[in-house]
Amino acid sequence: MDNKKILVAEDMELNREILCDIFDGEFDVMEACDGEEAIQRIDENKDSLSIILLDLIMPKKNGIEVLKYLNSIELIERVPVVMITGESTVQSDLSAYELGVADIIYKPFSAKVVMRRVHNIIELYEQRVSLENKLEERTKELKKSKEKLEKSNDFLINALSSVVEFRSLESGEHIRRVKIFTGILLKYVMSMYPEYKLTKPQVELMVNASALHDIGKIAIPDNILLKPGKLTKDEFEIMKTHTTQGCELLENFKQEDNDFYKYCYDICRYHHERYDGRGYPDGIQGEEIPIWAQVVSVVDVFDALVGKRVYKPAMAVEEAERMIMEGECGTFSPKLLDCFQKAKHELYELVANQEIFQTVS
Amino acid sequence: MTVKECYEKIGANYEEVVARLMSDKLICKYNKRFYAANECDNLLKYLEEENYEEAFRMAHSMKGMCVNLAFDKLYKFSSELCEALRDGAPTVDIKPMVDAVVKENEFVLACIQEMDDV
Repeated sequence: MDNKKILVAEDMELNREILCDIFDGEFDVMEACDGEEAIQRIDENKDSLSIILLDLIMPKKNGIEVLKYLNSIELIERVPVVMITGESTVQSDLSAYELGVADIIYKPFSAKVVMRRVHNIIELYEQRVSLENKLEERTKELKKSKEKLEKSNDFLINALSSVVEFRSLESGEHIRRVKIFTGILLKYVMSMYPEYKLTKPQVELMVNASALHDIGKIAIPDNILLKPGKLTKDEFEIMKTHTTQGCELLENFKQEDNDFYKYCYDICRYHHERYDGRGYPDGIQGEEIPIWAQVVSVVDVFDALVGKRVYKPAMAVEEAERMIMEGECGTFSPKLLDCFQKAKHELYELVANQEIFQTVS
Repeated sequence: MTVKECYEKIGANYEEVVARLMSDKLICKYNKRFYAANECDNLLKYLEEENYEEAFRMAHSMKGMCVNLAFDKLYKFSSELCEALRDGAPTVDIKPMVDAVVKENEFVLACIQEMDDV
């Protein structure tokens, strides 16, 4: 391996020579006899310098100016600087330390002590840099596996939700649209009602969780789930259990302190609750219903209204909006309706886009 | 004269310097450098020109070399002069200080001249 590079910046030739003699053989020694030359040497050897010995008083530019330069190019973090000084006051020492020097050596110096200190400091910095590199690498790896995990999560969620699509008569696109609409509406909730304290990453999780809102429907018997006509009262009671059945299913995979689990659970359970307390399964009301479940609830209704079903044609978006606003399809929080009003043009545009809106066969 | 004898003649601390600089060979080399550099001449030249900024640097430089070579007396005199010149034109009469530096410097240089090469 090549020798480590050391820069000796000192204007007194004799002292420079003493220092160079100390390191000769073990290091590649570079010399600078004033501050300007020191900066030049630093620029030339930015990536290979192991340490800098810096005199405080030098012509052209003094040691403090060289230190400031090292700070400005952020080299001070990586290359240790040992200040060599003949005269020091507490104040001058402190300002040198504030500018990032690793150590201060006072004249007259002893060759062996200088050598030992320089070795120690280089070792310390190398360890620090290598630790930082390791940490950075580890962070990168973690980020990668997190991305991988998110991808497989997405895959699993899509796979799981498509199970419902396969069994039910709902459009396979319904779930995709619910996700998109949920994202749009939450975006407005986030900006218009900061009191909900929603963050972007949380919203992303909620959007993914919305795909599972009807997961409980896989537990509903075919003769009810697929019945073309109106359900009887008893049948409807069974149909309503898709909310709690979904939760039971999720509970098998329960994860404590996991936001995603919480959103999935809440959305499954509460997306048929009503703001006035007249929904199911628990009949909770108002802000007891988590905002993410409220959002999916209105989105679910909107999509059902504007989508074509075997038992009904698609409804014009304006009519769907009127019914939602006037409480004909459940009651929603005024805040949510406010957001819906602001978001509706984005929603209309998507509905108008036939590509995401295929007719159910 | 050996290095040790020379240091004794100067009145400098040989034991201390050899502990720091490690060998007679190196000490001898540095002494000859000090002799060749003769910063005192430059110092006098700048004082003559009333270039106090450079004169300060010379005094400071001299002080720095003396402390490493353990020339205690010359270190003391050059330090005093250095302080008097630190803020530019001196506000005190520096002639006695300059004289002391010059006299001691001459003595030290004369001793070094007698030092045998190692």
